[in-house]
Amino acid sequence: MSGGGPPRKRNFKIDVFKHRVELDPKYAERTWKVLEHAIHEIYNHNASGLSFEELYRSAYNMVLHKYGEKLYDGLESTMTWRLKEISRSIEAAQGGLFLEELNTKWMEHNKALQMIRDILMYMDRTYVPQSRRTPVHELGLNLWRDHIIHSAMIHSRLLDTLLDLIHRERMGEMINRGLMRSITKMLMDLGAAVYQDDFETPFLEVSASFYSGESQEFIECCDCGDYLKKSERRLNEEMERVSHYLDAATEAKITSVVEKEMIANHMHRLVHMENSGLVNMLIDDKYDDLARMYNLFRRVSDGLSSIRDVMTSYLRETGKQLVTDPERLKDPVEFVQRLLNEKDKHDKIINVAFGNDKTFQNALNSSFEYFINLNTRSPEFISLYVDDKLRKGLKGAAEEDVEVILDKVMMLFRYLQEKDVFEKYYKQHLAKRLLSGKTVSDDAERSMIVKLKTECGYQFTSKLEGMFTDMKTSQDTMIDFYAKKSEELGDGPTLDVHILTTGSWPTQPCPPCNLPHEILTICDKFRSYYLGTHNGRRLTWQTNMGTADIKATFGKSQKHELNVSTYQMCVLMLFNSTDGLTYKDIEQYTEIPALDLKRCLQSLACVKGKNVLRKEPMSKDISEDDTFYFNDKFTSKLVKVKIGTVVAQKESEPEKQETRQRVEEDRKPQIEAAIVRIMKSRRVLDHNSIVAEVTKQLQARFLPNPVVIKKRIESLIEREFLERDKADRKLYRYLA
Amino acid sequence: MCTPVKGRGRVRLNVGGRMFETTAATLASAGRDTMLGAMLDAAWNNSDCTVAADEEEYFIDRDPDCFAVLLDLLRTGSLHVPPHVTDRFLCREALYYGLLDAVRAARWGPLDGDRLCLAASVPGTATGDGTAVRAAPDGGLCVAHGGAVRVYNWVLEERRPVNLHHAPVNDAAYLDESTLLLAARDRPGGGGGVAAFSALTGDLTHRYRVSHDRQVRPFTPGALAFDPHRGNIFASCKGRFNEYGIGVWDSTAGEQVGFLYEPPGCALGDADKLQWIDGTGTLMAATMFPRTDSSFISLLDFRDKNGVAWSWSDVGTPASSMEDKHVLHAVAMDDGQSLCVINQYDDLGFLDIRSSGNASGGVRWRSRSKLAAATRKKQKRNAPPQRAHGEEETCYPKLAAHGGQLFASTGDAISVFSGPDYVLTSTLRGSDGAGAICDFSIGGDRLFALHDEVNVVDVWETPPAPVI
Repeated sequence: MSGGGPPRKRNFKIDVFKHRVELDPKYAERTWKVLEHAIHEIYNHNASGLSFEELYRSAYNMVLHKYGEKLYDGLESTMTWRLKEISRSIEAAQGGLFLEELNTKWMEHNKALQMIRDILMYMDRTYVPQSRRTPVHELGLNLWRDHIIHSAMIHSRLLDTLLDLIHRERMGEMINRGLMRSITKMLMDLGAAVYQDDFETPFLEVSASFYSGESQEFIECCDCGDYLKKSERRLNEEMERVSHYLDAATEAKITSVVEKEMIANHMHRLVHMENSGLVNMLIDDKYDDLARMYNLFRRVSDGLSSIRDVMTSYLRETGKQLVTDPERLKDPVEFVQRLLNEKDKHDKIINVAFGNDKTFQNALNSSFEYFINLNTRSPEFISLYVDDKLRKGLKGAAEEDVEVILDKVMMLFRYLQEKDVFEKYYKQHLAKRLLSGKTVSDDAERSMIVKLKTECGYQFTSKLEGMFTDMKTSQDTMIDFYAKKSEELGDGPTLDVHILTTGSWPTQPCPPCNLPHEILTICDKFRSYYLGTHNGRRLTWQTNMGTADIKATFGKSQKHELNVSTYQMCVLMLFNSTDGLTYKDIEQYTEIPALDLKRCLQSLACVKGKNVLRKEPMSKDISEDDTFYFNDKFTSKLVKVKIGTVVAQKESEPEKQETRQRVEEDRKPQIEAAIVRIMKSRRVLDHNSIVAEVTKQLQARFLPNPVVIKKRIESLIEREFLERDKADRKLYRYLA
Repeated sequence: MCTPVKGRGRVRLNVGGRMFETTAATLASAGRDTMLGAMLDAAWNNSDCTVAADEEEYFIDRDPDCFAVLLDLLRTGSLHVPPHVTDRFLCREALYYGLLDAVRAARWGPLDGDRLCLAASVPGTATGDGTAVRAAPDGGLCVAHGGAVRVYNWVLEERRPVNLHHAPVNDAAYLDESTLLLAARDRPGGGGGVAAFSALTGDLTHRYRVSHDRQVRPFTPGALAFDPHRGNIFASCKGRFNEYGIGVWDSTAGEQVGFLYEPPGCALGDADKLQWIDGTGTLMAATMFPRTDSSFISLLDFRDKNGVAWSWSDVGTPASSMEDKHVLHAVAMDDGQSLCVINQYDDLGFLDIRSSGNASGGVRWRSRSKLAAATRKKQKRNAPPQRAHGEEETCYPKLAAHGGQLFASTGDAISVFSGPDYVLTSTLRGSDGAGAICDFSIGGDRLFALHDEVNVVDVWETPPAPVI
């Protein structure tokens, strides 16, 4: 030993040379003894005394002289013997030291295997492939697997130890993760099958029963939010475990076990949990819990759909209550505001907790579409909401805020099936706003029109835009009128005419009332001016839509400026010549339609603080036997007094019917046009297909009723646009 | 030696009595998996005596001359062999050190059809005509002669020949450098079929059987192909009881995994050439004149129930075409987008396989001028009285594609076509008077051409890059 390496090597070499005789039967035996000794020395950590070159050459010579088989078999049995020794020492390890010992021996075996392979490299290159035997390294691993891992005394002990450690870690103990890592790495090195059969499969089974029990325990005592928190933590723990000491491929398997046991198996119960389930989370805006539920349920099949279904039925139920509650219908603005609030709330939930999931957005939209259309007055209310906002609500609001509100309204508008009804109402409300000069912001009005236009197309808004044009031309016309005719007019009453294009405005033909003489004069002057500048036009006075400012002097020479409607003005002007008039007289002089007259008298005589007329007998309602007197004792703190017309902001029942009827009437030509368009291109089509096509074409505006479509088809047949097929009565033919 | 500075990492080697001094890095460049790499590894050098590393001397009991060549190889990466060191000697020593792969890599460069040189000629000793030559992945080869296959390693030393009961061999294919697959004709009394052999020892390792309705039936395999990624072996089969089609086996399990019965109108069992096309995941099967009167080429997709993904046939080509062109050989190009075919006038034609469905006679034949150089020679040779007419007939042109180049054997030469348009760039003409080339094969960066008349195999290699 003290001589060091080289001299010893030389001695040995000479020894071999001397006895190297080709056919010496003992040669192979002797050489093998040298190599066998070396293998033992390597396992004994005594390799420093060995000469690599010499051992390599010995193995080479054995293979060269056709003793490859002897060498290989010898290696196998020597290694087997050593491994049996090792197995005994591992078995002897007590308790916690078992894994340590196994790991140490594994490291040593690996190192020894590398060195043995170095010596036998030549055999590995030539003899092994030729005789198709297992390469040395693989052989070493296989023997380790068979004699250590699969040995009766170690196999189950190893598995139990690993599973026990993992169980202890799950229960909160600290374990030696590095050691676990080495042991699982060993199993993986021995081949995927070893890792799977001897560890992974039992591990997954044990985990499944662990989580099955734990989830049962949790679900009995936790509320939904807590349960989800615990599940999430367990899931993260398992993923962390995999990253620390298991094969990466195990992650998908173990997470699917946790998902199945903790989520899929209890999904229904969690979603519907009393006082803490999904509906309660939605009501209480529990974003964190909702997000957790979303992220966990997303991992299991049908998880998200179960959330979505419950959310949808909850939305439909609450929405239905909202739109059908008679209390809520009293205030349209409040009604729409509630819808918007509801939408905002759930938009935020989807955005914050559900990661803007498209399927959830769709569920939200379809729910809104469902319940908004449950109430036939929704189009009117939405229009009223806009009316309210554009009249006063937006006063002082910044341009962006206006846009935000209008955008939200448009969102509700999109849910409407009867968009043409909305259009009708919007036209009415817009006309009122424009004619009474109540609109707050021209920009906001136009922005709303633009939005409707982008949503529904040019046709939808062309009339609304026409109204704006009329307002502008009227203004210009009036300036021109006064510029040209001012000297003719003298200082009579001032006239402000809005020239409304027939068709663009929601005007009803109404018999003109008798205007007071002064007004009639200037009206005639305007008429001759206007017809003088525009050829071939007809002017009709819409006295039911106008307003007037008149000055009145009361008892103690109190002067007031009264802001009244045209009708009211006509009535009041009568009292210039007399103090008292009967209802019949007034009706006769003014020729105002009875319904309007009653309303207008009601507002002049029955409203407290604005009663410029006195009625006898005193009562709330106007009857045809009443007499009216100029109220000399009228007082007011204000110089300007606005006399409103008693008119319901919301439509009354008969008016509603009327509007509905007009809408139905308007739909007829649209349906017919659609039928003709379709038939023109298809020539022959059966009834059901026509209904389907028409519905498709018109659904941007409204949802046509199949019965109505059938009537329109019949009408078209009568007018010989279509005919029934002679053979098949279900088919229609287009007649060019 | 007057270098006072003892360099770190210096290693002294005593090889057969001659001293060599080099660096540990040079020896480590051989790799841990070699004798020298292992010898210097820390596992073998942690001796107790703390002698300075550069004092130590390693003794190797081998020939110093050869070691000098190998050390030079490790130092420079190029191989310089003095005249007195024979191939056999060098290889034996290289095998000892585990440097055989390094020697082979230094011997010749990556195959480039335009730089090929005739490196060697392997004379045939077998009786009977050679029918096929196949290149092994490591540069070795095998030649099928009637009932046996002669196997050579990459040093061109002959190994034990392989035979399957001496049944005539139709095709051979290397699964890897040590496994050779043989397709031999079925004869009454048995013997034919498909079998795997060890290319190293010549031992039969596995027979691939065909079962119809769970009954093993004898068959004659025609052509072979191998899909190395999925490990599938394909063979065109003619069963003794008229079961025609393509058999598929798993090469590792050795079991039959499928049998695609020939659909009506498709000639599959007769196919003379099979080629696995990796990019498309399909198998090209070509059945060609003169085995049949018309040529039929199809692409088979075994993932598809239908099987035939694309097919082409010259049946029904307009009779008005000037010449009667028979497609004699076909090869799928590397890009997996087209097939190249060749006819009896040595015209090249291309078929687009990307268009789905049946290509109706859409061969784009190339103008014959492209092959003029090769053809002219042939015609000249044909001009003298028809001396070797009988033999001439058996040598049909063959095609191969490699590294974006197209190779076509015509007569006694191989033409190389390069570039996107496959223009003729080189012509390889080997052993003089060896006769026409009846088959050639490319593999292991070598090209082997089997000559008909004297059974000689020419070995073509790309020489290593020039020094400067």
